[in-house]
Amino acid sequence: MKLSKLIPVLALGVTMTVAAQIAAAADLVVGVSWSNFQEERWKTDEAAMKSALDAGGAKYISSDAGGSAEKQLADVESLIARGANAIIILAWDADAVLPAVAKAQAEGIPVLGYDRLIEAPGVFYLTFDNVEVGRMQARAVYKVQPKGNYVYIKGAPTDPNADFLHGGQVEILKAAIDKGDIKIVGEQYTDGWKPENAQRNMEQILTANNNKVDAVVASNDGTAGGVVAALTAQGMEGTPVSGQDGDHAALNRVARGWQTVSVWKDARALGKAAGDIAVQLAKGMKGSEVKGAIKWSGGAKGVKMDAILLAPVPITRDNLNVVIDAGWVSKAVVCQGVTKNPPAACK
Amino acid sequence: MDTATPLVEMKHIHKRFGGVHAVDDVSIDLYPGEVVGVLGHNGAGKSVLLTMLSGALPMDQGEIRINGRKVDIHSPRDAQACGIETIYQTLALADNLNAPANLFLGRELKTRWGTLDDDAMEAEAREVLQRLNPNFTNINDAVVNMSGGQRQVVAIGRAIYFNARILIMDEPTAALGPSETQMVTDLTKQLRAEGIGIFLISHDMHDVFDLCDRIMVMKNGRNVGTHRIEEVSKDDVLSLIIMGQLPDGWEPRNKRTDA
Amino acid sequence: MKAPPSKTTRAKTDAPSGIMALIRTAEIDTRMLTMVTVLIGIWIAMDLLTQGLFMTSRNLYNLAVQSSVVAIMATGMVLVIVARHIDLSVGSVMGFTGMVIAWLQVDVFPLGAAWNWPSTVLLGLMLGAMIGAWQGYWISYRAIPAFVVTLGGLLMFRGFAFLVTDGRTVAPMDATYQLLGGGIDGSIGATWSWICGLVAIAILGLLTIRQRNSRTAHGFSVKPMWMEIALFAMWVAVIIGFVMVMNSYTKPRSDIARGIPVPVLALIGVVLVMNMIARRTSFGRHVFAMGGNPQAAELTGIDVKKMTLIIFVVMGILCGIAAVITTARLNAGANSMGQLAELSVIGGTSLAGGVGSIAGAILGAVIMQSLENGMVLMGVSSAMRQVVIGLVLLIAVWFDTLYKQSR
Repeated sequence: MKLSKLIPVLALGVTMTVAAQIAAAADLVVGVSWSNFQEERWKTDEAAMKSALDAGGAKYISSDAGGSAEKQLADVESLIARGANAIIILAWDADAVLPAVAKAQAEGIPVLGYDRLIEAPGVFYLTFDNVEVGRMQARAVYKVQPKGNYVYIKGAPTDPNADFLHGGQVEILKAAIDKGDIKIVGEQYTDGWKPENAQRNMEQILTANNNKVDAVVASNDGTAGGVVAALTAQGMEGTPVSGQDGDHAALNRVARGWQTVSVWKDARALGKAAGDIAVQLAKGMKGSEVKGAIKWSGGAKGVKMDAILLAPVPITRDNLNVVIDAGWVSKAVVCQGVTKNPPAACK
Repeated sequence: MDTATPLVEMKHIHKRFGGVHAVDDVSIDLYPGEVVGVLGHNGAGKSVLLTMLSGALPMDQGEIRINGRKVDIHSPRDAQACGIETIYQTLALADNLNAPANLFLGRELKTRWGTLDDDAMEAEAREVLQRLNPNFTNINDAVVNMSGGQRQVVAIGRAIYFNARILIMDEPTAALGPSETQMVTDLTKQLRAEGIGIFLISHDMHDVFDLCDRIMVMKNGRNVGTHRIEEVSKDDVLSLIIMGQLPDGWEPRNKRTDA
Repeated sequence: MKAPPSKTTRAKTDAPSGIMALIRTAEIDTRMLTMVTVLIGIWIAMDLLTQGLFMTSRNLYNLAVQSSVVAIMATGMVLVIVARHIDLSVGSVMGFTGMVIAWLQVDVFPLGAAWNWPSTVLLGLMLGAMIGAWQGYWISYRAIPAFVVTLGGLLMFRGFAFLVTDGRTVAPMDATYQLLGGGIDGSIGATWSWICGLVAIAILGLLTIRQRNSRTAHGFSVKPMWMEIALFAMWVAVIIGFVMVMNSYTKPRSDIARGIPVPVLALIGVVLVMNMIARRTSFGRHVFAMGGNPQAAELTGIDVKKMTLIIFVVMGILCGIAAVITTARLNAGANSMGQLAELSVIGGTSLAGGVGSIAGAILGAVIMQSLENGMVLMGVSSAMRQVVIGLVLLIAVWFDTLYKQSR
């Protein structure tokens, strides 16, 4: 090609490429596939994600799989079709979602596994350290009840987080269990994390042990609510119970002394981080280049992944002011009905 | 048994279903103590006409008079209030209920607290049904377990218990064996003798000539001929049903010189 | 109505011969007898498998409360199924009405005001009725199959349940309201339980006498006196046994007997009312006629459309009652309440063979809950429990079809 013709073509090509880049950067789309938006906390995550994406100049699109693994596959495909440059997935079923992840990665779309582990190479794992959450739950209960009969009320059997939590709980209690100080007298998964199921299971465990239960390690606030209802029916409220999520009702229970700890994962921090990281990934950054990313391989298959694990905060009656000051919940809600022996934050 | 006022006068009745004129300007009277046969091929409009009298279907046009008084029949209850009882071709029985429950369906006897008085209903039903068929003892079985004849007796019992003055019988013997058919025939004659007026839809020529005092033939929704039974022969009737008219050169049978 | 077996003679008193004739004279429904036998069999098996834990007063008390919600909804489902319809939305309707009740009680009205919780209960029941009317309208007046309408309802009302508070769990409930769910103070105590029991026995006695007199007055045969007394004594034993079990469960660390829990009282009330409606009113009779032969019902002047609507309104109200008990028991309104409840309700009703027996549906619900309750006592995992209950349902309905074929 003659040079005189080449230069304009090159110039045109460069211009077009640059324009495309600019256009792409302006039109960043981040897709979010929710597992089951019905559960209480995800609205908070969404709000934080959205504002982070806004700040990063990306558009937010989403779908809700409504608790169905099949639907989530279809959702991810639809997000790809709708032009997502990066996809955040809150997996309903970590194994069933893998084909969708593979599809996205095949199209060069980076995937961020949100809160729940999706164990596949190339997926960026962003979560609160769920094992640490479990450890915090167990630690708080162990602190007030170092000896006695313990009950595990675990999460949903389909949720890998349930086993991470449990793993952390066991880690802390193992020594005492081996020594014989602690005896596990009941252990049940809770279908769908449903409080009613936790209540019924706890009732049966109390019956089976003639109420000789000294502590309950419950894996989240919803199930903790069911557990406390069952305990209250036996006049046993005040028995140490753990939880997580910082549900308003749970924080009230902590203030009343009916729940020992609610491990608070500021969902706003997680959502914001997800938004920020997704924007970076969408722009082409590699997982390992993300600020603060570590190499993590704590999953069952030992796959090495780039990850950021945020630190949760255990909220007990001593530090209720943390959630109040952070604007997560109002003092009125936390202290509602607390008359006897109020915690520091309620005085 | 003609008396001055007809029991039922149906005047210029019309019924359309979409584009089909199922009943086209039909008029017919019924006197006390007579059986009027309503004949015609399938789809001629016989059941539609009488279903309107029984209240289960609304008329498009026309007038019905009972004992000379104009009435508005919009529901089966209205018809029952006029003394009209119907024995449907399908019998209209609820299979899962027993005979007394079916007999009193929609008109249950109640105790003074407003609850169902099953014992009273059983007693009354037993009386009526055993009058019709003394061998009918298992009236408390679910109707689905009864024989065709027994089910017919229940349907008939329902009509006579409530003192029908006007009875509509739609193919009452179609599903019955010979002895049961005889029972129904005898009963029909007996009811006629008691002064009840009966519209009888039937395909069975033998029954028609045995029971009917008059006949009305319908074809394609119209009344193509109303005659006293003595006036017509079987062939005449068939001609009316199939062709819609009497044979050429027809004379009333009872006035013919050749028998 | 279930047709009592025929009596071949109408003599003044019948002389029974053989076990079957005995059962027929006593007018015992053989299917009910089978279900009661199965229930007792399951209880005994569970008791053995849990080393005697199952048949303690404590567990039976809990079982009664755990069964009450499903059983209450099952009484309504019986009428729905008899009328040849189905209601797949009961769990979602229960969840939605429960969320509204909780939300009103905690977030809208002043918590603790005396008028607060009763009005929320009333509003919840009204909401249930309205939802029933809504679904009933589409089914009866627009002729859309109940399966489709209530499937839509299952999705819609679950969605609404979330939208009430954007998914947030609402807790805790009013202190008095909690009593409606059972719990430590949610039972009526020993004295009142005995009073209830004695009233029940008295009413039963009066009804038996009245029935016997009515039969005699019409000249029908009556059961031999010894049989009458024996049956009455059996029922008295059941009632007294029930009260004793409820009374022997004491409050923790004390000797105070709990007595009959409020949810069970509600269940008993609902069962009595629904049973009366089904078997002793013309409405109930007409529902059964509608189910047996809808054309026949129309031809006898029964307003089939209006009655279908009423059936679904009743179902909606019962979902509201179930919602009250669930939120009171959980002491919270959670938007996942009642999820998959329709499976238990329909399963329990189906166990009874769908003949339209309210008592049968209750037994079916109790059978299924007994299995669940016992297996958790044994520590069986949730997955395994699902397998077992699914199998039991299949086998039970199979037996039922065999039974129907043999008649």
